[in-house]
Amino acid sequence: MNLGIRAVLYTARKWKKTLLLFCLLLSIATLVLSGLAIADAQEEQAEELRGTTGASFTVSRNTATGGWSSSGGGSYSTQEFLSDDMLDKIAQTDGIKGYNATITTILSLYGEDHRYLENTTPRGIEYVDSQYYSYGCVDSQYSSLFLSNTLSLVDGRQITMDDKDVILISKDLAEKHNLKTGDKIQAVNDPNANDPAKDVEIVGIFDVVADKTDEKNNYNMSSYYDYSNYAFISMGTMKELLVNYEDSKESDSADFFVSDPQKLEQIIQAVQKIDSINWNNFIVTANDEVYERVSSSISDTGTLITTLIVLITVVSMVLMILILSMSIRSRKKELGILLAVGIAKPAVILQYAIETLLIAVVAFPLAYLASKQAAGTLGTLFGRTAENVIVTPQHFIFVISIGSVLLLTAVLISCIPAMRLKPKEIFSQME
Amino acid sequence: MNLWKRACLYLGRKKEKTFTLLAFLLVMATLMLTCLSIQSATDTANANMKKALLGYFTINAKPLETGLSEDALGQILDTEGLSGNYALRSYSYANYYDADGNSLVIDTEGAAQTPEGYENAGKIVANSNSGRDSYFTEGGFELTKGSALTPESKNAVLLHEEFAKRNGLAVGDTMQLGAITDDGNAVPVTVAGIFTNTKEQDAAGMSPSYDLYENIVFTDLSTASYLIYGAKDQTSVQYGDFYVNDPDELERIMEQVQKIPGVNWEKCTLTRYDKDYQNAKQSLKGLQNIVFIAIAVVSVICFLVLALFMTLRLRGRVHETGIYLAMGISKCTILFQFLIEVFMVTAVALLLSYGASTAISGQIGSKLLSQVTAERYETVDLTGTSETKGQPGQDLGLSEVVVEISAADYAIVWTFGVVLCLASTALAAYPIMKMKPKSILSQMS
Repeated sequence: MNLGIRAVLYTARKWKKTLLLFCLLLSIATLVLSGLAIADAQEEQAEELRGTTGASFTVSRNTATGGWSSSGGGSYSTQEFLSDDMLDKIAQTDGIKGYNATITTILSLYGEDHRYLENTTPRGIEYVDSQYYSYGCVDSQYSSLFLSNTLSLVDGRQITMDDKDVILISKDLAEKHNLKTGDKIQAVNDPNANDPAKDVEIVGIFDVVADKTDEKNNYNMSSYYDYSNYAFISMGTMKELLVNYEDSKESDSADFFVSDPQKLEQIIQAVQKIDSINWNNFIVTANDEVYERVSSSISDTGTLITTLIVLITVVSMVLMILILSMSIRSRKKELGILLAVGIAKPAVILQYAIETLLIAVVAFPLAYLASKQAAGTLGTLFGRTAENVIVTPQHFIFVISIGSVLLLTAVLISCIPAMRLKPKEIFSQME
Repeated sequence: MNLWKRACLYLGRKKEKTFTLLAFLLVMATLMLTCLSIQSATDTANANMKKALLGYFTINAKPLETGLSEDALGQILDTEGLSGNYALRSYSYANYYDADGNSLVIDTEGAAQTPEGYENAGKIVANSNSGRDSYFTEGGFELTKGSALTPESKNAVLLHEEFAKRNGLAVGDTMQLGAITDDGNAVPVTVAGIFTNTKEQDAAGMSPSYDLYENIVFTDLSTASYLIYGAKDQTSVQYGDFYVNDPDELERIMEQVQKIPGVNWEKCTLTRYDKDYQNAKQSLKGLQNIVFIAIAVVSVICFLVLALFMTLRLRGRVHETGIYLAMGISKCTILFQFLIEVFMVTAVALLLSYGASTAISGQIGSKLLSQVTAERYETVDLTGTSETKGQPGQDLGLSEVVVEISAADYAIVWTFGVVLCLASTALAAYPIMKMKPKSILSQMS
């Protein structure tokens, strides 16, 4: 009889045993596949978590290497400013998800009726009461005030890079003057000088979260303005408003935010290789304190999960070998008969291998389908979800190739003791 | 023959089979135990992450006439869930005198005005750890000489380089601080350190003289308390930042704190600061879910494999069962014998697995994990300034992530392991037991 046919016949005749073996292989393959998917998902989730720590680096003028000059207002650095061109070049580096540069000044705001918008803490002097501490910004979502949740946007949207002539004002101010998103107001740097006025559209309204009365804030100009008298205006507009002030319409520094803090170092190195910028004139500082604080815990979790998965994989291999050797050893009698009727030892081993593979051929693809379900089902069963636990074809190929090799090895190993014996010895050993 | 004896003899005679079963159970039990210990270790890592994201709340008690008293502070610090990490702050103005009571000279150049009564006065900043004050962490202040102020400092001050030079003061010298309102009770203080500012004060030219960087003096809390509240034996503070272990509990803790009697909470402002945690919350949860699912998948499939394996094993003993039945041994006794065999092997496997998994866990713990507790961290800096490096870091007090087998885990594995082995054996034996000896023996191949 052909050994292929014999293998099929055995598998079909001993269907209960086949079914058991099949279930075992299915479970183990599902376990390993889910494990691999979980390891990948963990990696992804950890990366996402690292990303939420908001790591960034700051490029600022190096006032130490630049010249100094003085005028009526005191001494000031003549160091080169960060040009738009430089900002663009840096922002194009891989791994940077966004950046913000700011110019701060005091702007006066006027309503559509050209009357000044009285601020929330009026003192009765028009010149003072129309003043707002204003940030010209490229991308206001990356402003430190929003990032630190000192302010929080409650209506409309943030200012983005492509915006022109837009402004964010506080909720208190909006309520005081009955302003809403979409309304237009007017901004001017110094109404008493020959400065241009610009019409700007309110695109967003922010609320004050932090406690400004807490005196820990008091150390610079911004501390003299209530948060509700802050305003954020698009960068281009700010530059036009400051057209008469050559040295204040450029940025001192810019913050660049990276997607993965783990790569911050690399990104900074890449940035410093940009030739068109004279790095002697600028300082780059990494800001990843939050990441630094949690990174060891994140990597601990990663290590623990990886260890678990490795453990699962190793244990699964051991289990497969144990199970197969057990099932083959229980066929000693049959082996003896096959040998006694003159079938060559290699043919018998081949038959066992084919039987095992017949089961595996069905079990592995099914495990692929099962594991695609397993993680999700188990998750929802316990009220947790992990959308990114995905079993990929790569995992499947890995399991198939390793699994097949392992199964064949296991068959070979478990046949060794029986194969060394003559049929007669085998029979005499039987109970 | 006694069924116990028969069980022992069977195990002893079928050494290979017994060994396979033992190896199998040992591997499974070790896997489960390690799995559980990893689970509890990830819980610790997770709690560490939450703690390291630094959720805290600030009590602004400045509007209170007496500030936050020592007594109230003690009660706040007793609130469950606080990490024990906190900062106390007070701000005021004081007249500066030398040791003999002569007024010291302040910087007035660059000030918008020098308010009346403040000709020799400046801002007083008191922080339990001066190095962690926002002037140092965000404002670009740096200590150049001497040492920073700690909670243990008494009657000590830090002066600006310019101010010290102008008045000929050096570390170790004595000067006096006097409340603005009364000229009488000045406190003698010792200069503990000299600081300078590395960033320009952009409000120079528009701030009053006392707010100028040069005129700021850092002092300890009790000195500030005396200047503000006039009490010598009591240290009251205006502000407190209290860090919590789990930012999820901030709300609960803040509510609990506001129930502490003896403080007019209506007048105080409590602000929560947990944006780092809020940003990370979603991802943190995702990571936790993944850990949980990993453990769940492993546990469920382990049990499945265990049950299947026991069934497979028993199927090889149909012939033997038929003979026993034919010999007139009752089905109950046979089943019991099988159970005793499995139980004995399971017990040995579970005992051995404790050693095996302890060894594995130990390896994970010592070789792979970072030793977080030994590390110290820089203080937070939201504004992204560069001068914070080299500031005294703060110990986050994270717990060490230990992978170890707890008694509870071991008990769980014992219970589930034994129950499962016995149940699956009984279940697998059921179809065999249903048959008559004749049909069993005739079914044999």
